[in-house]
Amino acid sequence: MNKILQIARREFAATVMTKGFLIGLLVMPLMIGVMAVLMPMLLNFKSPPIKGEIAVIDPTGEVIGRLREQLEPTAFASRRQAMDERLNAVMPAATQQFAKGSAAEAQIGESLKGILGEVPQLTLSQIATEAGLEAAKARLLLGKGETGALLAVIVLEHNAVQGSEPSSELGGYALYVREKLDDRLVGDVREAMKTAVVDARLAVRQLDAAEIRAVTRMAFVRPQIVTRDGDLSNGDIAGKLLPMAFMILIMIAVMTAGQQLMTSTIEEKSSRVVEVLLAAVSPTELMGGKILGQMAVGLLMLLVYGGLLILAMFSFSVMGLIDPWLLVYLFIFFVIAFTTLAALMAAIGAAVNELREAQALLTPVILIAVLPSMLWLPISKDPDSMFATVLSLVPPISPFVMMLRLASSTPPPFWQIALSIVLGIGGMLAAVWFAGKVFRIGLLMHGKPPNFATLIRWVRMA
Amino acid sequence: MTDAIVLSDLHKSFGSKQAVRGLELRVPRGALYGVIGPNGAGKSTSLRMILSILFPDRGRIEVLGEDSALKAKDRIGYLPEERGVYRKMAVGEFLQHMGILKGIARGQVKVRAQNWLERVGLPEVAKKKCEELSKGMQQKIQFIASVIHDPELLILDEPFSGLDPVNMRMVRDLIMDQHQRGTTVLFSTHVMHQAEQLCDHIVMLHDGRKVLDDPLSTIRERNAPRAFRLQALDPKIDAMLALAGLSCIGQVNREDGHYRIDLAEGARLDEAAQAIAARVAPSRLELIRPSLEDVFVEIVSQQPTPELVA
Repeated sequence: MNKILQIARREFAATVMTKGFLIGLLVMPLMIGVMAVLMPMLLNFKSPPIKGEIAVIDPTGEVIGRLREQLEPTAFASRRQAMDERLNAVMPAATQQFAKGSAAEAQIGESLKGILGEVPQLTLSQIATEAGLEAAKARLLLGKGETGALLAVIVLEHNAVQGSEPSSELGGYALYVREKLDDRLVGDVREAMKTAVVDARLAVRQLDAAEIRAVTRMAFVRPQIVTRDGDLSNGDIAGKLLPMAFMILIMIAVMTAGQQLMTSTIEEKSSRVVEVLLAAVSPTELMGGKILGQMAVGLLMLLVYGGLLILAMFSFSVMGLIDPWLLVYLFIFFVIAFTTLAALMAAIGAAVNELREAQALLTPVILIAVLPSMLWLPISKDPDSMFATVLSLVPPISPFVMMLRLASSTPPPFWQIALSIVLGIGGMLAAVWFAGKVFRIGLLMHGKPPNFATLIRWVRMA
Repeated sequence: MTDAIVLSDLHKSFGSKQAVRGLELRVPRGALYGVIGPNGAGKSTSLRMILSILFPDRGRIEVLGEDSALKAKDRIGYLPEERGVYRKMAVGEFLQHMGILKGIARGQVKVRAQNWLERVGLPEVAKKKCEELSKGMQQKIQFIASVIHDPELLILDEPFSGLDPVNMRMVRDLIMDQHQRGTTVLFSTHVMHQAEQLCDHIVMLHDGRKVLDDPLSTIRERNAPRAFRLQALDPKIDAMLALAGLSCIGQVNREDGHYRIDLAEGARLDEAAQAIAARVAPSRLELIRPSLEDVFVEIVSQQPTPELVA
């Protein structure tokens, strides 16, 4: 055991104490930190307001007045307020609580203003007939700031407000804009026109637009799960993303440390140090020590990234989404997933002579780790489906899928978790048995890289 | 005391290639054995099986009284033919790592590594990375790694390959030191004169089979010199003509400025030397001793042709 620990120690130190690993490990938290500091600063740089003239041809005579009202600065402000409220409604409940009445709420409001910029300062001019359209279009070609230059021309159809028959279909409007126009203006004009035209249509029908808006408004509904511990809010975005975050956490740790294990095995083989090692320890001890060392590397990554995730959740007061048992299962399934894939990667490392040769053998192993993330959507939509249940029991992808299910809103029953652990350990032992045989033979083999048939032959030989 | 190594009817194949066929060997404790043979004779495979790096298809191995080297790894030192170091690791750390893997206590290993570095004249390299050392220095480090735990049995696979004459002498001295302190040494080489210089017992392999297993003295006795090299004092003399008719001489041949004189069956060396000197005044008359290479060639030429392997 002392020898296995010594190999593990060297493996851990040789991987972790390199500039490349430390930079790689710290770069993501660093980027998140920089983004957290820079994003609000960048968002506070407000875009300059849009200024200019819009020409309107309104044969109905009903719309232009209402459009003028909609393009008033106060109308813009109230529309933005409504958007702010809609966004707030879909935010996680805990985040709302955290932000409510705090500096963060003001910050969010300011950021939104930053993105949308200052309220536009627009003037409207009416062109009497369609005959003037060509002249108005010519004004769209004038340079910015030139006298008479237009930002846009709106041409309403004759039947935009009222058809010839009560049942006939209503028309719309055409919008002509100048080149390189700020995209925000098109959105604003569309929004204002929609309200102005609909209000005009309602007015000619003797209906009160404000009243209709009031009676058709419905607040965003958040489902409440009824449990023995009381009602819990559900349906948060965070609740949906959390399973994915946990699965990615395992995937990153397993793949990074697994790749390191394969690379270090190839290095030991190509530098011929492996035969010196085999004179001191058995191939099983060597593989065991290497897996153990790289598992510690994976756990370190899990600790750093998982710690950051928990820290972030703690700061947003959404720690309630994590059951402490989830962290225990995270550890158990990480050990199973890592040992299984790392053993296979060690075998690949031992079988080939250089990294380039490993690619063909590595593809199925990478698929095992990546497949669950591709199946995330169907599994997260229905974590208790037969499809999700079967996948969460079949090694070697079971640890990844089970983590998705465990972190979902409807975690699986305990017997399924226990069965998944037992089957996972069975798969892990099979992988270690297979890898051990390939490892023993492959380490001293040089020359042509093996294919899968050769690996099977080695297993029979060993 | 039991033998250090006992091999019985050892067989090993790689696919259709039979690398070792029925090898029998006993190496007594404290002996210095040389395993010689051309490339592909099965030397490295045999050594790897002794060390349990490879496992035989058939046969029995006993090492230092154990039925597997796995049980005695900490008492065995091994220097493989293709040896390496962790290039990015500091020399001192590498030696400590190998020492711990060989069972030295953590508390002692640092001192032992430093003592060895001083012994081979490299006390200042402990903190240098292995890749910063010259090839010769790396070979010294590799040798230290194989003996740092004071093994009872030292197995060296082609220990002199790639060494310059100075380092070759250094390694030879280190091997002799180990032998003198009682370590059993078994080394392989395909350069036969190295074995001749160093060993007191020779094992010769050819095509996976043992073809010779004798003390060097016995080999020398059995292959006693039966020829003279003669250089005449007067270069104008035709020695072939002058020696014609001597009953102790089998044949005389001219070779690069001298004559090779093979003795007749049953002729005595001292009588033949006197008879030759009486007929041709020599500036040089010496016995031609058969080298191990000659012995090997002679043995191999008497062996049946190995079967062709598909």
